[in-house]
Amino acid sequence: MTHQDFLDQVDAYALGALEPSEASVLEQHLSGEGPHPLCEAALARARETVATLAADLRPVSPPPAVWEGIVRAITQGQDPARAPASQEPATAPPRGPVRPARRIPAWTYGIAAAAVLTLVVSGVSVREAQHSAEMASASAAQCAKELADARIDVLRKEDALQLLQEPGTQLVSLKPSPPGPAQGAPGTGVVLFNPRGRALFLGKSFAAQATRDYELWIIRDGKPVAVGLLPPDAEGRVFAEVRPDLLAAGKPAAFAVSIEKKGGTDVPTTVILTGAVAAP
Amino acid sequence: MTRPAEDRTVLDAVRRGDQHSLEELYRRHSPRLYALLLRMLRETADAEEVLQEAFVDAWRRAGEYSASRGSVEAWLITIARSRAIDRIRNRGARLRLVKQSEQLASADPPQPDPPDVHAQTRLRKALGSLPPEQRRAIELAYWEGMSQSEISRETGDPLGTVKTRVRLGLQRLAELLAG
Repeated sequence: MTHQDFLDQVDAYALGALEPSEASVLEQHLSGEGPHPLCEAALARARETVATLAADLRPVSPPPAVWEGIVRAITQGQDPARAPASQEPATAPPRGPVRPARRIPAWTYGIAAAAVLTLVVSGVSVREAQHSAEMASASAAQCAKELADARIDVLRKEDALQLLQEPGTQLVSLKPSPPGPAQGAPGTGVVLFNPRGRALFLGKSFAAQATRDYELWIIRDGKPVAVGLLPPDAEGRVFAEVRPDLLAAGKPAAFAVSIEKKGGTDVPTTVILTGAVAAP
Repeated sequence: MTRPAEDRTVLDAVRRGDQHSLEELYRRHSPRLYALLLRMLRETADAEEVLQEAFVDAWRRAGEYSASRGSVEAWLITIARSRAIDRIRNRGARLRLVKQSEQLASADPPQPDPPDVHAQTRLRKALGSLPPEQRRAIELAYWEGMSQSEISRETGDPLGTVKTRVRLGLQRLAELLAG
């Protein structure tokens, strides 16, 4: 690879848009006999531009468990001062995942959460669901059945249960719109909404559509904001998290689900479920 | 954004094995990285795992950082995005969100307590001034973790065209953001 070849591809490289084999060629060029001042300067410029693309995001503080997991990982691992000296790879190469400790013991939590979610999607109140979770924790056999029934990823259940337990979380039940049998989809859904910037959509009985997609919306100031598509799993269940930056612009008045052409639309055309967020 | 020179000093201490300095680096950069990972991965658990992996990587690879290839923040973002892209590509399926372009470039209401309104405004103006097809190609790569080949398949445009759009778009962005 020549310097010019490198310069031609450095933007895609910094953006992470090269295939691994292509990226490897650029990395070999940089780690080869140098110096490569022009190539390094171009890489620095491209990386800074890529980094700036994140400037539009509102920072979100990660939960304390993440830092705790980092401390555990590095105290069990290698001292960086003893790390083998080598050229810096221009991108972090794939390596085996370092599994963080879960926030909560996964098995107990997952079992309880399965029970909670089963109840939540049935329209039971938060308080009842939490009470049921406690009861479920005490009865492993019963909860294991719930877990098998729910067939929702355990981590998602953890997320949902944690959100349920956070102060201020509302359960927004989405009803057919217009009232009566939902058009084209018998699905039901709820949104767990916390005004501090989190919302999870949980749905069930969403019939897969060959030519259309379900789409989730935030309604704010009378205007719909597209959240994303809601692909149901094989059991007709749907789980989606609303991006925090979409919630940061202000409290939603309502959530809605529509059924749209493949790929979604700019404006909802066929709303099938709606639910208003309660006033504080 | 944080102060690059101070970041380098902190990273030097991390390189010597100072865990408190890693914590300082984490305190400075984790909120933006976490927001970025949430946006890319759309799964809280995945974002948390990748954030953790990124800082463990930073701890182990602090000695490999080279200031001539970008700031510490850009280095951290590169590590985090690289891991996120691996995860996205391994998933095999993506939850496609619509309206990425408008969300980035439109005049959304100001978000509460933005840390750097000037940078945000400048970015939006810069993105808004790109030709739509260049912006789309960059956004598919940046947020969806798509390779140029995947973008070509997604948009139906020839691979060479996609490569040109990525290159010209990012270079134009660099000029606009530097200006």
